[in-house]
Amino acid sequence: MIAKELQDEVYNCIKCGLCLMPCPVYKQLCYESAAPRGKVQLIKHILEGKLEPSANFNRILYTCLLCETCTVNCPSGLKVDRLLKAMRAEMVKKFKLPWQKRLLFSLLSGERLLPFFMQWGGSMGNLLMGLAPGGVKVGTIPFAKLPRLNKKPFREQVPEVVTVAAPKGRVLYFTGCATNYLYEDVGRSALAILKRLNIEVILPQGQMCCGLPIFLAGARESALGNIRKNLELFNREDVDAVLVDCATCGSALKNEYVHILEERGENADAAKALSKKVMDISQYLDKFDLKGMLKPLPGKATYHDPCHLARSQGIREEPRRLLQQIPGLEFVEMAGADVCCGGGGTFQVDHPEVSAGITGNKVRAIKDTGANLVASGCPGCRMQIQGNLGEEAAEVVHPVQLLARALK
Amino acid sequence: MVDAELLKSLEAIVGSARIKTSREDLLTYSYDAYVKEYLPEVVLFPKSTNEVAGILKLANERGVPVTPRGSGTNLSGGSVPKKGGIILCFTMMNRLLEINRANRYAVVEPGLVVAEFQKEVEKIGLFYPPDPGSSAVATMGGTVLMNAGGMRGIKYGVTRDYLLGLEVVLPSGEAMNTGGVTAKDVTGYDLTRLICGSEGTLAVVTKIIVRLLPKPKTRRTMQAIYSRIDDAGTTVAKIIEAGIIPASLELMDNQIIKAVEDFAHLGLPLDAEAVLLIDVDGDPEIVEKQAKVVGDFCKAHGARDVKVSQSEKENEQLWVARRSVFGAVARLRPTCIVEDATVPVSMLTAAVKKIREISERNRVQIAVVAHAGDGNLHPLVLCDIRDKEEMARVEKAFEEFVDYALSLGGTLSGEHGVGISKAKYLAKQLSPTVMAMTRAIKKAFDSKGILNPGSFLEYAE
Repeated sequence: MIAKELQDEVYNCIKCGLCLMPCPVYKQLCYESAAPRGKVQLIKHILEGKLEPSANFNRILYTCLLCETCTVNCPSGLKVDRLLKAMRAEMVKKFKLPWQKRLLFSLLSGERLLPFFMQWGGSMGNLLMGLAPGGVKVGTIPFAKLPRLNKKPFREQVPEVVTVAAPKGRVLYFTGCATNYLYEDVGRSALAILKRLNIEVILPQGQMCCGLPIFLAGARESALGNIRKNLELFNREDVDAVLVDCATCGSALKNEYVHILEERGENADAAKALSKKVMDISQYLDKFDLKGMLKPLPGKATYHDPCHLARSQGIREEPRRLLQQIPGLEFVEMAGADVCCGGGGTFQVDHPEVSAGITGNKVRAIKDTGANLVASGCPGCRMQIQGNLGEEAAEVVHPVQLLARALK
Repeated sequence: MVDAELLKSLEAIVGSARIKTSREDLLTYSYDAYVKEYLPEVVLFPKSTNEVAGILKLANERGVPVTPRGSGTNLSGGSVPKKGGIILCFTMMNRLLEINRANRYAVVEPGLVVAEFQKEVEKIGLFYPPDPGSSAVATMGGTVLMNAGGMRGIKYGVTRDYLLGLEVVLPSGEAMNTGGVTAKDVTGYDLTRLICGSEGTLAVVTKIIVRLLPKPKTRRTMQAIYSRIDDAGTTVAKIIEAGIIPASLELMDNQIIKAVEDFAHLGLPLDAEAVLLIDVDGDPEIVEKQAKVVGDFCKAHGARDVKVSQSEKENEQLWVARRSVFGAVARLRPTCIVEDATVPVSMLTAAVKKIREISERNRVQIAVVAHAGDGNLHPLVLCDIRDKEEMARVEKAFEEFVDYALSLGGTLSGEHGVGISKAKYLAKQLSPTVMAMTRAIKKAFDSKGILNPGSFLEYAE
């Protein structure tokens, strides 16, 4: 059952409705069950036994990006996203996830990810993707615009410990699945900058998917193995920080591990200790004066706030400051920079029309800036934005990629 | 009763994507921001006057109740379906049809959100002043049918004062236009202003024409901080008496300050007994001068400090905080019933004192926020609707305050509407003759009584 403290949340909703218009999904659909208030009220009815947790309710529950805009805007202080996540975990017990998601999560949660990847990515995956007929889409993203898999997982391309001569610091690097399997250049960029700063970097072997995509879908049980393994590898006292280059992984390691273990009534001490060490890479690099080591990088860049950085972790200024340190790079704000891109993990596959409307607004805001570079610290956002924006309009990158390009 | 055959006919009008009948969807239209809930039988999302006309004609023929609704931010239960039937929800009929700069008016559909409309007109240097606390979500149609007021009433008036004309559909299904686009218009009865504030009991609005003002060049927000709430009340009365007209003049008591600060983290003074939030706007030189006059005035009447915002961003943050009051008090207790009685502004201090007395005597928690410059009080009665015994005390406190406000020559509701929350007190204020005339008007528009039944005139516990 949902933790008692979360159950009580439903009575704090005074139904003021201030969550309606800020909700990107409600703004597209314009009916109440799409809005946070509608979902919270339905959950109240279920908890009071006045409504069956039906298949229709299940559909409503997943018509949500979990972008957390409602949570940060709720004057009553409702933790809406946590309530919805906990409710999803309840519903998964009754309604199984579709097989595609079960397959994906079983890969992400188990040991089979690597062999699967080696066979698929190493041999025929990219080739097959290239052969897919034009016009085929995954959700809103044309097949041809999906990122290609790394030839080799990133962590196999680099040593487990990247040593430097006279280390000024020592960090663990949680690479996440995206950097490991899709975006190797982000990992290389991060290592290049850290090396220049004389920081020793350890990339623990055996690290697993952070688990967040799994438990956001409700399949908490499947993710427990990931949580325990990652805690074992990363909760170390002999390092200055645990760096993460992915907004979602950061949010998992910093917040969600603690919530999940506590809501299950388990000891969360290790998760709390880890939480204190976890830093988004932009947060860590923000402490350094990088100007002296950077050469001019001509271009115009704008920044998109990932939900899991801006709202889950409150990181808004650090990535912007990093971009503004790069000489020659003009920085320009887009309208609604912190509005969700519409990706929402598998949301864009389940609700392509809603997603297309939300992403359409984001694409317009980006084009209005005239920027040729869009930076964002979340692989999901980058995939969603690049897939809908098109390479000809602008290149979508992680902020560290621009920093690495500007290194002297 | 909405039967299968009627559902089929309704679906033929709006199409399958704009009709909702699942239990889950119906439950999400059983509430607004008031506490009582009633289940509709079907929710429809029309997009045109023709569709609205078709729906009303069918409903009228069969005597099925129709309750119009926008975003559902109503605080008096005006937009919940007291007698079941059809919810006519306008959130998908939300276009801004025209902004006419030459004649300074705009034409909008009822589902357009007030703040979105304000943003659009302000982009071209125009201004739509009516500004209810819920403007970020409330719809134009809802604010017209409720004659919504808000924070700028003291200087700019309320929704009614900006309304030039309407297109409405009568329960018979006939559409009619009232008013027009001209600033002056005395041809015939003023049906526009009759429908404005009729709480959806006379006709359904499908198009709205409002007049616009030039946007004030600048504004400044000030916080006057008081150790004694009485001094804050007196300051307000004296400001009005002195002929100073700020754009907004809001009062928040200590409980409100704490709840809002807990949400907004703006550094509001937690130890103050009251804060006045004051906006002055206009040309920069005048604003500069007015800010000083108002600031000095507050200090002369007991303010221990006056803070002036340094940027538009800071102004905005303070007003977002003020707008969040209703939601923020949910941090204190689960249920909040908003009183809305309005008194002559010279009686503001006395009324605040009376609220405290009523609150203590009935052992009911009441926090006070007020559109002080209008004498429009919002005592927020904080309670838990699950506690029957407490609710009885709440009811008593509520009634005592209504009687008090009326005894001062005040009104039952300044801006939230009668709805069902205050329907039973209606006869305390309106004479039998007024009630009879009101019923006759209702009959002339809606002979079968299908529009928003159970509300306002006919409410029974």
